[in-house]
Amino acid sequence: MQHVTRPAVALQTAHRVSEPELIARVLAGDRIAARELYDAHSPRVFRLAFRLTGDADLAREFTQDTFVRAFSQLARFRGDSALSTWLHRVTVTVVANAMRKVKRFRERETSLEDVHPFAGSDSGVDPVLRDRLHRAIDALPEIYRTTVIMHDIEGYTHTEIAEVLGVAEGTCKSRLSQARAQLRAALSDLAPGELES
Amino acid sequence: MKEDRFEALMRDAARTYRKPPQPDLDGMWSEIERETWGVVATTKPARIEARWLGTRASGWLAAATLVIGIGLGRASTMMKHDAAPAKQSEVAMASVSPVRQSDTAFDAPYNVETSQYLGQTAALLIALPSETRSGHPDDKFVGRAAELLTRTRLLLDSPAANDTQMRALLEDLELVLAQVVRLQNGQNGQDRTELDLINRALEQRDVIPRLRTAVADISAN
Repeated sequence: MQHVTRPAVALQTAHRVSEPELIARVLAGDRIAARELYDAHSPRVFRLAFRLTGDADLAREFTQDTFVRAFSQLARFRGDSALSTWLHRVTVTVVANAMRKVKRFRERETSLEDVHPFAGSDSGVDPVLRDRLHRAIDALPEIYRTTVIMHDIEGYTHTEIAEVLGVAEGTCKSRLSQARAQLRAALSDLAPGELES
Repeated sequence: MKEDRFEALMRDAARTYRKPPQPDLDGMWSEIERETWGVVATTKPARIEARWLGTRASGWLAAATLVIGIGLGRASTMMKHDAAPAKQSEVAMASVSPVRQSDTAFDAPYNVETSQYLGQTAALLIALPSETRSGHPDDKFVGRAAELLTRTRLLLDSPAANDTQMRALLEDLELVLAQVVRLQNGQNGQDRTELDLINRALEQRDVIPRLRTAVADISAN
């Protein structure tokens, strides 16, 4: 048996188990396998939940709900899509359903300065323009906002978004185009004549 | 040009729009575990206590819980021994793996504690590579390792360690956790060497697969 000295990532790779195997173990009641799946996917699920809600407590709650639901329904996961896609679909569903009930979110949205910590002003972007864009994204209809957040903010491809949202890829592209047009219009008075396409 | 400006704004938004904070992965996991499997019944109160008393206090609480569990286990051992000494000695003679072969009531205090301990230790060791990517784990991580080290030593001194395989696993975990705790005081270069040693120990002793097997065995019982 050969043992090679490697850096700290050695443990991760040495004991790496394939995802289908991990899923099978979770279904057999292995909580450590469940934790491994959670470790692999939870950061991105949390990011998505946070981007969609803008609230750390809600993002935490929805991430938990996503995994509780995912583990309880894991037997239904047929492997047609990637597990990440399936999990993100659950996340978007959990967030969308819950946000309709969270009335107080509307109030939270009004104090955007509290929930939009800027990453710094070294990008040369006018803070007023930036703030206006953020507010414009918040004001988009939900289906457009989700598409913009997933594509432009979180970097999902159209194929991934289409799978997560259960729509055709063309629909996804069309929604993004509509959303961007609305964002341009919202910024037009701050950058007259510049942003109309 | 117009499109360029808009694209630049959108790229900026990707960095600045609702910038996600660092998630509390362990905290969320405790809730998920509780809701999904109904386990770690003691974890939630312990976490609530921790908010009042601080992280160090929660470590002592966990250790105290373990001591009480071990005390109960020992009491039940003595009672059982008094009640049926002949039968007990037969079991001891025949037993290769007391954890598997003794009855559930006898093992219950140890099984619950050992199962929780093993699950939490596995989670910590699995998270080790990502926690040490920067070359040095944070204080919270090392604090958790120290707490688990205390629990390891208590378990080693309990009937849970009567099983030879479990004892060997606990001894290996004691070694690894002690190395993780030592990372707190090391210099960056020393930490790298220590991390290599930890990884080698984990690989050569198959610690993670053995942890899996032990948890599965206890769950099956």
